[in-house]
Amino acid sequence: MGKILLIDITRCNGCYSCQISCKDEHVDNEWMPYAKPQPNTGHFWYKITETVQGTVPKVRVHYMHEVCQHCDNAPCIAAAKDGAVYKRPDGIVIIDPEKAKGQKELVESCPYHAIYWNDVLDIPQKCTMCAHLLDNEGWTEPRCVQACPTDALIFGEEEELKDRLGDFEQLHPEYGTGPRVYYKGLLNRYFIAGEVYDPDADECLEGATVTLLDSTGAAVKTVKTDVFGDFWFERNEPGEYSIKIEMDGYTARAMDSIDATTKDVNVGSLELKKA
Amino acid sequence: MSNNENKEFTTFKSTGYSAFCNGSHIAAVDVKDGKIIRIHPFRYDWKYSADQINPWKIEARGKVLEAPKKTSCGPMGISWKKSIYSPNRILYPIKRVDWDPNGERHPETRGISGYERISWDEALDIIESEIRRIVATYGSWAIYAQGDGHGETKMVHGPHGCMFKLLELLGGATIQIRNADSWEGWYWGTKHFWGGEPFGLMPNCSNLYTDVSKHSEMLLFEGCDPCTTTRGFCSGDQISRFCLFWRDIGINVIYICPDLNYGAAVFADKWIPILPNTDSALHLAIAYQWLINGTYDQEYLDTHSVGFDKFADYVLGKEDGVPKTPEWASPKCGVPTRLIKALAKEWARKRTSVVHGFGGPYIRGPYSHEVARIEGCVLGMQGLGKPGQHSLAINNRAVFGSEDHPVAPPTPCSIMHEPHQLNVRAAYTGYNPFPWLGLPKQCIPEPLIHDAILKGHFEIYGSSLQVTPACEQFIKYTYPAPGCSRIHMMWSDTPCLLTCWNDSNRTAEAFRHESIEFILVQHPRMENDCLFADIVLPVNTKFEEDDIGDDRESAAFDLVYLEDKCIEPLGESKSDYEIVCAVAERLGLLEEYTDGESIPQKIRKGFDQSGVPELGLCTWEEFREKGYYVVPTDPEWEKYLPGLYEFYLDPSKYPLETPSGLLEYESIGLKQYFPDDKERPPVPHWVESSEFHDERIGSERAKTYPLLVVSNHPRHRTHANMDDNDWFHEIITCKVRGDDGYLYEPMWLHPSEAEKRGIKDGDICTVFNERGGVLVGAKVWERIMPGVIYVDHGSRADYIVPGKLDRGGAINLITPHHTTSKNCAGMVCSGFLADVEKTDMDALRAKYPEVFNRPYNKDSGLVFERVIVKK
Repeated sequence: MGKILLIDITRCNGCYSCQISCKDEHVDNEWMPYAKPQPNTGHFWYKITETVQGTVPKVRVHYMHEVCQHCDNAPCIAAAKDGAVYKRPDGIVIIDPEKAKGQKELVESCPYHAIYWNDVLDIPQKCTMCAHLLDNEGWTEPRCVQACPTDALIFGEEEELKDRLGDFEQLHPEYGTGPRVYYKGLLNRYFIAGEVYDPDADECLEGATVTLLDSTGAAVKTVKTDVFGDFWFERNEPGEYSIKIEMDGYTARAMDSIDATTKDVNVGSLELKKA
Repeated sequence: MSNNENKEFTTFKSTGYSAFCNGSHIAAVDVKDGKIIRIHPFRYDWKYSADQINPWKIEARGKVLEAPKKTSCGPMGISWKKSIYSPNRILYPIKRVDWDPNGERHPETRGISGYERISWDEALDIIESEIRRIVATYGSWAIYAQGDGHGETKMVHGPHGCMFKLLELLGGATIQIRNADSWEGWYWGTKHFWGGEPFGLMPNCSNLYTDVSKHSEMLLFEGCDPCTTTRGFCSGDQISRFCLFWRDIGINVIYICPDLNYGAAVFADKWIPILPNTDSALHLAIAYQWLINGTYDQEYLDTHSVGFDKFADYVLGKEDGVPKTPEWASPKCGVPTRLIKALAKEWARKRTSVVHGFGGPYIRGPYSHEVARIEGCVLGMQGLGKPGQHSLAINNRAVFGSEDHPVAPPTPCSIMHEPHQLNVRAAYTGYNPFPWLGLPKQCIPEPLIHDAILKGHFEIYGSSLQVTPACEQFIKYTYPAPGCSRIHMMWSDTPCLLTCWNDSNRTAEAFRHESIEFILVQHPRMENDCLFADIVLPVNTKFEEDDIGDDRESAAFDLVYLEDKCIEPLGESKSDYEIVCAVAERLGLLEEYTDGESIPQKIRKGFDQSGVPELGLCTWEEFREKGYYVVPTDPEWEKYLPGLYEFYLDPSKYPLETPSGLLEYESIGLKQYFPDDKERPPVPHWVESSEFHDERIGSERAKTYPLLVVSNHPRHRTHANMDDNDWFHEIITCKVRGDDGYLYEPMWLHPSEAEKRGIKDGDICTVFNERGGVLVGAKVWERIMPGVIYVDHGSRADYIVPGKLDRGGAINLITPHHTTSKNCAGMVCSGFLADVEKTDMDALRAKYPEVFNRPYNKDSGLVFERVIVKK
């Protein structure tokens, strides 16, 4: 039991209110015993990173949210000396700014790279879930969540939110750290998209059947092209794929070696010739 | 009055910019021991129950969108501290060192020479004597006052034209006209198609969002970014909630724009890249497809329009021998012919609305009136006003909230509407650019300031004031006006011409013209036009003042709130209003200027005349105690019919504001007054080039300058406001840090164009054309189509060579010189030709060492100290 954070990337409009709110709360403000001030720049206790997916004109932007996972089996707690990092009953992991002084190795202990080193204060620092606001100011959520205009961020009791976890997953569960942050829409599956057209009639081909095949040649998904001749295969497992395009009256064609192991792919505009 | 004596309190601030007398982006500000602790959105129901505010719900296709529970102030509001404590704040009055009002004035060194600190007394002595001298020598009309949309939104401390009233007391001054500068095309164009007075967008925005949610099958975001303009001006990120709702209920969303803008990046089902300012070609080809296939509503046109046959003749080539086929349009607009045909087919079979940002690149290019009119013509062909078929703006309320033209917001209306619409304008001291004020005797439109000074005269049709009716566009104005002097003194509280208006390298030249004897600027930060001023006065931020505000732009609820002072004014800064009061006192006009009212009295008057106490909704005492009041949603909000639905049902009973009362495919007004205008002919046309503009990809000029520039409202600032925000500079789309450590304005370039020019991501480059060069940092990526470069407007000018070469990335320095067209004095700041090359920085550093050694803050950028040569 305890607090968890849900991050629905599919509802994120990339406004950065979360990242900026964190700075507003922690830069030039001291919240002892929870946190010393964050440096003006260079720290991202809540961090957005952007990935441009695909190529013109099949392009999207993915906003990744990087934040302390408040792990139940936190490597930073294990790595800390003198109990400098501790877990609260509500699940929040806090670095004690006094005890952690000089413990630079804590930065490396976090597989999620969520701990930052403060050179001036000689301390490691990270997200506190704004525990000072939850404990003392009557807030029910941290600044990042309160600032989110699209409800992409949800914070609350695990017990109350567990029914909503269906579409969510943990970030790198293989690390075995027991994260208390859950994501929907992680960039760990990729789209394969393209366009089909008839070069002789100079028309987008609507209703062509496009089949996605995996590296063993097994059909994975089938879609029909839309009025623009477009097809989109969403969230495919990383891997190499091929596609097959068929339409009555046209010569079928295939395309091999579509490499979607690490990124989204626009296969481009594909001609289909009359049979 | 103020809560400031309390050790710990929460107050409210509108954190949006640029509005004249209505706030936006309302934030709660927590203050403790004289320090601003945090700035954050707050819940509308913090001090009122849901029953009291009556949250609205839009139900459509089995899903419900509820009113947002909290305000949306966005990252700009949340990080407002960065503006207050900017290293570029002006904290005391300064004077240009080689400007001597009693001797040599050296206008030619403006923009080059440094500044020295002077006292307020010294500054006021000079200002008083200069004003008296100018008035005595040339008459009061020789003083030019600029108080435009740019700065913060305040009421009593109004940052937009507080000096206007004082100058009226002196006999009247030349006023910079507030143009329709974010929506030029609608103002000069569609007013002659569908009326829509006074702004020119589609008339009546009541409940459009609801109707779209219920009935539209496809939305075309044409040059519209719902995640950019609203962040700075109004509505914040609330529009994103609608975009998510439209996704949830299955409306197909297509973005048509040269760049994968921030809305397209997350909300688009499809992105159709199109070359800047060529949407008319696409629309004409769509009209052609509908005409040859008969897939449009001739019956509607028979009863709802005039002149359609002439438009059809033009489209089919019967008028000029050139059918506007997809093959004709494709090379102009860069959209493949097959895609134009598919879009025409889909649009004809789906209930479709177009969606626009309130401004932006779509509507601010050459001949933007034709862009707007031709789009209107296409909308009309499918039956404008039918359920789900509208032209929808994402932030109407930015300027539409006047009681003369009560236009409902994107959201359901509050119980306060005509004739009791909420506003606290009684507290406002600035320039109020609304029609009932009438026009001063002598005015200069924004885009003609350089011509007015350098040429000394101009002739235009229409004042270009943002709210005058279409018929005013047929009246001729001359500068100087009869009986008026040309201008010899400039007084600005909005010193942002360089990075916001057109061909501002010429404006820089104008600032240095010998006819301009004195330039007085008041501003919080030392940037842009301040660098050409003779005296600069320090203005404080709203966090240092007591004030009041209203918000009718939130896309949530109407709101009125007290803005209590949070901290003492920094340095020697004063508010714009206090500065003008100080000048008025010197001129013996303080009592007349203030109407004998103190600031607390003005705040109280604002509330007393806001409509709230008159309707018995909230008393001053309750308002003072709670700090804000939410106007409840009208329980009958759904009864207001959407858009042009009534016109669609019965055009004779519900006529438009055009001369015929119908959609005018051939404009009766234009035919009468400008029958031979080739740029804005009675029947709208594609204009390839003209005496005024030659900015097409097919032009001879394009052989030298082969790229089209698209320039939008900035994502991470409003005009130049917030350009010094170091927290934003850490966001990859905000700035590009050059290998010299300087923060360059991003320039988006497609990898294919970059490769041709040997440009790599992160390189320092120069965007250039005949009008000058601007240094930028390359973002080489897939968010921009080939053939186009994208640079936001509003980056602070940081001249290497004034009038020629800029390091700050102020792209407007090289925007077109001419106005929208010969008979339309609108601004042009997007859709123009340029090229880009990698910059030889070693050569520049060797040639201009002093420029590269100026003091600079590695995080926030430009610093105040850089201009001070004598302490």
